[in-house]
Amino acid sequence: MIIMQTKAIFVDAYRELNAKKLFWLSLALSMIMVLLLAMIGYDDDGVHFLWMNIGFLPIRPDMISKEFFYLNILFTSLGIKLWLTWVISILALVSTASIIPDLIASGTIETTLSKPISRSRLFLTKYSTGLLFVGLQVGAFSIGSFLAIGVRSGVWEPGIFLAIPIVLAFFSFLFSVSATIGMLTKAAMPALLLTCLLWSVIFLMNMADGTLLMFKINSQILIEQREERIEMIKSNTTRLIRSERNRDEPGSGDGYQPTEQEIAERNQFLPQIIEGLENDRSDLKQLTFWHDLVFGMKTVLPKTGETTDLLARYLVDPSKFPERQDEFEESEDPNTFTINQAETEQRMQEVLNNRSLTWILGTSFLFEGVLLSFCLWRFNRRDF
Amino acid sequence: MEAVIDVRGVEKVYKGRVHALRGVDLRVGSGEIFGLLGPNGAGKSTLVKVLLTVIRASKCDGTLLGSKVGDKSRLREVGYLPEHHNFPKYLTSRQLLRHFGAMSGVDRPTRNRKADELLELVGMRDWANSKLGSYSKGMRQRVGLAQALMNDPKLVILDEPTDGVDPIGRKDIREILVRLKDEGRTVFLNSHLLSELEMVCDRVAIMVHGLMRQQGTIEELTDGQSGFAVRATAPISDEVRAQISSKLIGIDPIATDDPAELVFATGDAVQVQPVIDTLRANGLAIHQFGFRRPSLEELFVKAVQEQPDGARPGARREQKGARR
Repeated sequence: MIIMQTKAIFVDAYRELNAKKLFWLSLALSMIMVLLLAMIGYDDDGVHFLWMNIGFLPIRPDMISKEFFYLNILFTSLGIKLWLTWVISILALVSTASIIPDLIASGTIETTLSKPISRSRLFLTKYSTGLLFVGLQVGAFSIGSFLAIGVRSGVWEPGIFLAIPIVLAFFSFLFSVSATIGMLTKAAMPALLLTCLLWSVIFLMNMADGTLLMFKINSQILIEQREERIEMIKSNTTRLIRSERNRDEPGSGDGYQPTEQEIAERNQFLPQIIEGLENDRSDLKQLTFWHDLVFGMKTVLPKTGETTDLLARYLVDPSKFPERQDEFEESEDPNTFTINQAETEQRMQEVLNNRSLTWILGTSFLFEGVLLSFCLWRFNRRDF
Repeated sequence: MEAVIDVRGVEKVYKGRVHALRGVDLRVGSGEIFGLLGPNGAGKSTLVKVLLTVIRASKCDGTLLGSKVGDKSRLREVGYLPEHHNFPKYLTSRQLLRHFGAMSGVDRPTRNRKADELLELVGMRDWANSKLGSYSKGMRQRVGLAQALMNDPKLVILDEPTDGVDPIGRKDIREILVRLKDEGRTVFLNSHLLSELEMVCDRVAIMVHGLMRQQGTIEELTDGQSGFAVRATAPISDEVRAQISSKLIGIDPIATDDPAELVFATGDAVQVQPVIDTLRANGLAIHQFGFRRPSLEELFVKAVQEQPDGARPGARREQKGARR
């Protein structure tokens, strides 16, 4: 009977989706997106749209591999991270915000609860149907993209279907918020608005995390550069002092360790560099504090951005990633330090890639689990 | 008679200490049509919802179909039509029936067959493939009744089943209820339409302010209140009344508000003839004479007007507020 009831609830949910124009509109738009992806080609001449060469995109397969272009740029960045996790997710939230309020609406819940199904199972099954909208959309989009990319480029990558669980997990984090607010308010509109509000907060936290991380890494790079420069100056100055002492009195310079004051007297830039180093260390301490704070706050929130980034992490072999070749020249001025943006980005990417699955998915599912537990407690105790 | 519903001391206290149910005892036998009456806010729907696990009772001892109230598995044998139901408008009536059939554990071939049979029974076969959104209230009520019967229930609980249904439809529903009874099912009705309950119910109960005031067959409830009534064309004086009392030894008079009327608790017309003779002898003409049994409505009104100890008028308003 459990299977029969679960199937009945899912069939009912599908019929509800079927009755909504928004679902079919979203699906049609997704298929148009797949068609657009299929129209984009990439060969030795660069990027093509149908038969037209897009000259203003100066990329070639010797710079960016075909796999990276199709799987990372087209499918992951455009298809998943932009289309599915923004446009379709917003439409899905609009479409599903009423699921829990409708379930507990007067006139509906009495009939459902009078059937031989436990409240917990009823709620969890109904909650799962909320993922049906996104599940069908991402499923159709992934199949379409798999075929389109395969036919267009010859890259048949089954890893594309990893998008299905990843996008479902991403959406479930948001839907748990929508369901909780729907359970509390019995209304779809507050559920939708407050979920979007939390999503915006998460987005801002991600921005803050990224920005603070970038500043922190820049600060670390500057500190490393200054420490290296100080070390080099000290070493050169020590060598110079030893050679001067040997010149005046042969043998007296060997093994001589000059004092800091002697070194500073010989190099006018050193005090400024040391002062800069102290400032950078102070900045780094501040940045670390704020970044740790943001990171801590993010830990208790669902990691929507990091979850969708997992697709890029696992879909494309890092060896296929293009190497950044920014033009960068170190300054001649010994007291001037310049940051190589490519290095910053590379280090940032390393930090982000080192964030564990437990932190990204584990804490996010924990967040979802806490909300669902609250909903279950509320649903089980409530009189209708 | 085996009890289908047998509960004692059911209490429900909502937040804010509003007593919706104040220790209700109820026994409904197998195969009968049982009517639960009561004014708005009496606690009728709350009692039904407690039986169906929609509301958690503060206190409830007893059984439903032989199992402890709250046993979800027993609901497989119960059909329920709520008062203000709101079935999904995107479903057709056939889809709705099949859906709720599956939710009650009815296998696929049976629910496919049963859905069509029941739509035929409630006169909605021609609308089987139309969406509920296009139905009138009466049509939705008919489909709702069919929904409650999808799982071949032993117990059918119907909350205001004729609400919004036209007179022909009401007659049809009454016939269905009798048919259900003939099939051995128990029907539990919550209704305001007393005349309809009177027509079909074997037993009724009257509930007021969360208390069960009366319970029994209509004959049992009217026992001691039925008898022959004699109505004169003018008010009957105390002197004439005294004369009549001296002639009718052993027959109890029944109180009446009409000064021109006398009612006696007997079913034998011969015993009341001296009353007519006495009235005529005193120059009073007889306007009406006949056996009279109080209607369910009169019983109901009487029960409602007698305030029980501790009952608070306006409980419904507070109760609704507490549910928000």
